[in-house]
Amino acid sequence: MRRAPAVVFVAAVGLAWLAWDTGADPVRLARGLPWILDFVRRMVPPDLRVLPAALAGALTTAEIALLGTAVAAGLALPLGFASARNVAPPAVFYPARAGLNFFRSVDTLVYALVFVAAVGLGPFPGVLAVVAYTTTTLAKLYSEAIEGIDPGPVDAVTATGATRLQVLRFGVLPQVLPLFLSYVLYRLETNIRAATVLGFVGAGGIGFYLQTYLRTIDYPAAATVLLVTVAMVMVVDAVSSRLRDRLV
Amino acid sequence: MIEIAGLSVVLPPATRALDGVDLTVGPGEFVVVLGRSGSGKTTLLRAINRLVEPTAGTVRVAGRAVTGARPVELRAIRRTIGMIFQQFNLVRRATALENVLAGRLGYAPHGPSLLGRFPAADRRLARECLVRVGLADLAERRADTLSGGEQQRVAIARALAQSPAVILADEPTASLDPHLAGSIMDILKGINAERGLTLVVSQHQLETALAYASRIVGLRRGRVVFDGPPSSVTPGAVATIYGDGEPA
Repeated sequence: MRRAPAVVFVAAVGLAWLAWDTGADPVRLARGLPWILDFVRRMVPPDLRVLPAALAGALTTAEIALLGTAVAAGLALPLGFASARNVAPPAVFYPARAGLNFFRSVDTLVYALVFVAAVGLGPFPGVLAVVAYTTTTLAKLYSEAIEGIDPGPVDAVTATGATRLQVLRFGVLPQVLPLFLSYVLYRLETNIRAATVLGFVGAGGIGFYLQTYLRTIDYPAAATVLLVTVAMVMVVDAVSSRLRDRLV
Repeated sequence: MIEIAGLSVVLPPATRALDGVDLTVGPGEFVVVLGRSGSGKTTLLRAINRLVEPTAGTVRVAGRAVTGARPVELRAIRRTIGMIFQQFNLVRRATALENVLAGRLGYAPHGPSLLGRFPAADRRLARECLVRVGLADLAERRADTLSGGEQQRVAIARALAQSPAVILADEPTASLDPHLAGSIMDILKGINAERGLTLVVSQHQLETALAYASRIVGLRRGRVVFDGPPSSVTPGAVATIYGDGEPA
């Protein structure tokens, strides 16, 4: 505790430097406020003629998130077990854990850029991007759930003469499955949000419309797209969190 | 039935849990291993089916070498050794019947078992084992809705489902109320009498040990310090097992 003043001083200096280096300037923000207000004013009233297009885009976005999350939930299963210290042999655990950390450091949007280049425009590269990012994040969450299990049932199943796979199926899986499902739903919520911007890089969904209307300075249409996005995210969040409550 | 010679176990980092144990248990014996907590009782039981890896010495069960057995052989031996734990070690989210079926994992066809499918004969046997412990009516109840005494009876049924030659019970009554402790020991004694099963039960409770055992083995600091019928347990012998203090 005696070092607290020094820590505060160092932190203050550090933050000041960060503010200077990023050009953070309250005056500039204040000067820009009228432009933000103007932006919002020009969005009102929203142009409801583009509602059908926005809804179609939203549906595509939801489909990308849903399919991508579902595939990732399955792909992450073996990876999750492989990177759990208490069930995987060291020869499997260390490479699996390292691989996960490497691929997890890349965001969905970056994956989308790669996959658009690889397979072309449309929702498909979006699905691939969601799969790539979500598989690694879910595998990490799975492995942590597995590492937190009660070892008792694992001992008991092992003692019956069960194989390693049977021990996983009967001693481990029943303990972690509800947690896994809860994590999958949570990732679905985040993926819906992440997928709304995939269209910016040509990977399909509602982001494509938002970007198009913003670029053509059609703010009322962009407003409609934004409202639809917000509504969709809120609905998915509500449904998903209610499902998650029932799992725990 | 069980032949243990020169068995030593060093637990990481450097605890000598067992120190040169020699012990031969004949078919149909009801051996109670007595000792303070930390005397090596649990380690001895877990070394018999190699849930704990022995550092030195040999263990043979029904004439087959447990120490040095390769994985396939080890599993074949383990399925003939039922094990009961202080904390029951049931899969809490699974039903009583599903927990008992786990006792058949060493016998059931491997692939189908991973999908939760067991031969009809195995299911019948599992139900019979639940009947034997007086829980026929609770077969479909989830394990975590059962009382402690009921859970331990499910665990006994799981061990019985293995059609074992030997049952190891590690402090099976230590987590239960005294009146339940008696009923659990009665069930074990009944199994011992009617099926001629060999039982090795660890206990820290002297009176319970004397009431049920056909033979008492006293452990102290990882060594056998007493071995004889209950009638030969003199105050001097008790002092040898428990040390200078009063029996725990």
